Amino acid sequence: MRVELALFASLRRYLPEGETGHERTIDLPDGTTVGQVIAMLGLPDEPRVVFVNGRHAPDDHVLRDGDRLAVFPPVAGG
Amino acid sequence: MKKIVRIDMSDLSVRTEPLPEKWSRYGGRALTDAIVFSEVPPTADPLGPENKLVFAPGILGGTTAPNGGRLSAGAKSPLTGGIKESNSGGQAAHALAKLGIAALVIEGAPADKDARYLIKVAADGSVELKRVDEWAGAGNYAVSDGIKQMMGDVKRYATISIGPAGEMGMKMAGIAVSDPDGYPNRFLGRGGLGAVMGSKGVKAIVLVDEGLPTVEHADRDAFNAAVKKFAAALREHAVTGQGLPTYGTNVLANIINEAGGYPTRNFSSGRFELVENISGETQREVTLERGGNVKHGCHTGCVIQCSRYWVDKDGNYVTKGPEYESVWSLGADCGIGDLDDVAALDRACGDIGIDTIETGVMLGVYMDSGRLAFGDGKGALRLLEEEIRKGTDLGRILGDGAEATGKAFDVKRIPVVKHQGLPAYDPRPIQGIGVTYATSPMGADHTAGYSITANVLNVGGTVDPLKPDGQAELSKGLQIATGMLDSMGMCIFVAFAVLDIPEAFDAIFEMATAHTGQAWDADALMELGKETLTMERLYNEAIGFKPEDDRLPRFFYEEKLPPHDAVFSVSDADLDSVFDFVPETAAKMGVSKPGA
Ligand code: SF4
Repeated sequence: MRVELALFASLRRYLPEGETGHERTIDLPDGTTVGQVIAMLGLPDEPRVVFVNGRHAPDDHVLRDGDRLAVFPPVAGG
Repeated sequence: MKKIVRIDMSDLSVRTEPLPEKWSRYGGRALTDAIVFSEVPPTADPLGPENKLVFAPGILGGTTAPNGGRLSAGAKSPLTGGIKESNSGGQAAHALAKLGIAALVIEGAPADKDARYLIKVAADGSVELKRVDEWAGAGNYAVSDGIKQMMGDVKRYATISIGPAGEMGMKMAGIAVSDPDGYPNRFLGRGGLGAVMGSKGVKAIVLVDEGLPTVEHADRDAFNAAVKKFAAALREHAVTGQGLPTYGTNVLANIINEAGGYPTRNFSSGRFELVENISGETQREVTLERGGNVKHGCHTGCVIQCSRYWVDKDGNYVTKGPEYESVWSLGADCGIGDLDDVAALDRACGDIGIDTIETGVMLGVYMDSGRLAFGDGKGALRLLEEEIRKGTDLGRILGDGAEATGKAFDVKRIPVVKHQGLPAYDPRPIQGIGVTYATSPMGADHTAGYSITANVLNVGGTVDPLKPDGQAELSKGLQIATGMLDSMGMCIFVAFAVLDIPEAFDAIFEMATAHTGQAWDADALMELGKETLTMERLYNEAIGFKPEDDRLPRFFYEEKLPPHDAVFSVSDADLDSVFDFVPETAAKMGVSKPGA
């Protein structure tokens, strides 16, 4: 299945294959979870905010073909 | 002994009195509220002589308390018609506190409408009023230059000033406050307080703090220990220690857009396809490339340092930030996806002296009327420079804000609560912020109870943003905490750390106790927040605000917002529960209605 991956702020540098920009489509085996993608990317082990299709998603959330996965480090402002 | 300095613009007299005992535990928002509550009749014309404009540093102003130098300004608002506290950074709060001034109150109004005054408070506390009629119509940057020339060798001072919009009494006029470099770029933006200052004939205020020490503490060692503890927590938390200083407030653009709550083209969509062009990440890259500053405090003593300067392609200063709210209002809400366009609009707002949030919301509404295309940044700039700055007939309508503009041009979607434009989070997919917009005595205001924390950012817990459950409780707790922080004079961004790190919360009352010598604890802090809100609610009730005024405009309940197709679904009963503590707090305070 194909999933759109977007990494933001300080996490941008973890995009695979030295891509520029912050989004790319990745191929994943069916049944892959959010947590597995995060481990695969080697994201730092710290609090983060994860969205699947614009909704918060826990690490055990199972991804589906066509999903958009977005990961943020802790951020705020206002 | 802290004092209140009163300047009566009707007869140009100056009176100084000690801060009354009953207000000895108040500062910042609590004190501006108390003075407006006690002294400005609810029936007062906001632009008439009965209204008062109050400037107050917080309880911790003038000290080394981290992020403790925020300024409150209060009055009856010409925009909302209710009580208003507007809050900003800049150097003025520290200067006032060092001068021993708990509140500077501008009263009355001059008979001569063409007179313009500069109020100067010298380092020895003496107050001088100077005619500056030749500054009539000048922008904030020109006023700042004029003051610089006038001050000669005196280098340490803070300025407070208005641009032409305030002089013309426009309802979205704000008040500029100088930053540590002297730029008049920090703003008491919301609620039209610039118009109140203009109605009093005051063009600018200069507060000289050259040679003045920080204020003394009841217990210096205990104070310093608490400061250390507080600063450590701010540095430790990922948001206040890394996210905010690195990317600034506009780091929010992407995450709010991702959550589907980034109001686009006058609140018709929750996602902006050009967000990457105007995101905090892009802003940082471009600013660094051009040699701009990407990390400083808006006032001395800020340890988070979320502020930055935007520079043009040649590296020349244009404006501060721009901040998240301004990039959204002047960008996404107008369909404008170019940071140089946004910065030019931000600079124009700063110079003319109009609130960036209200201006962007107004422009979005105007574009929705079909009179200007969404995305037309140059056209928007022309409206600000040629119509609003010059006070043309059209400019005077636009200058009164989003609601006046929407009504004049028959726009059906007018995003305001209590006549004030909504900030940068759509309340349909982020329902917690909708509760704050609906119920805050300030009108639609995100800072009054920043539910984005638990709704989107996973700070201070988590509450599902798309559901109504738990939102009223969340907003209530945050509104009370914010009333307290605004009264302490603390930047509300400390809340990100305070919500997650218990020691940081303790450090606030430890600093307050060690500084004032009064007993402060966790309960007393919350009581301060409740008293602040209670004065505001009672004042608005006396004016005639009803539960129906604590609602969002109908379209938020009816029009589905893409991508989540969300509508606002918090019940009226939940909204009406937010201020359920008011009768009890009012009874404890021994007040029931505004007046002495
Ligand atoms: S964190 Fe930002 S807004 Fe708050 S005091 Fe510091 S520079 Fe000002």
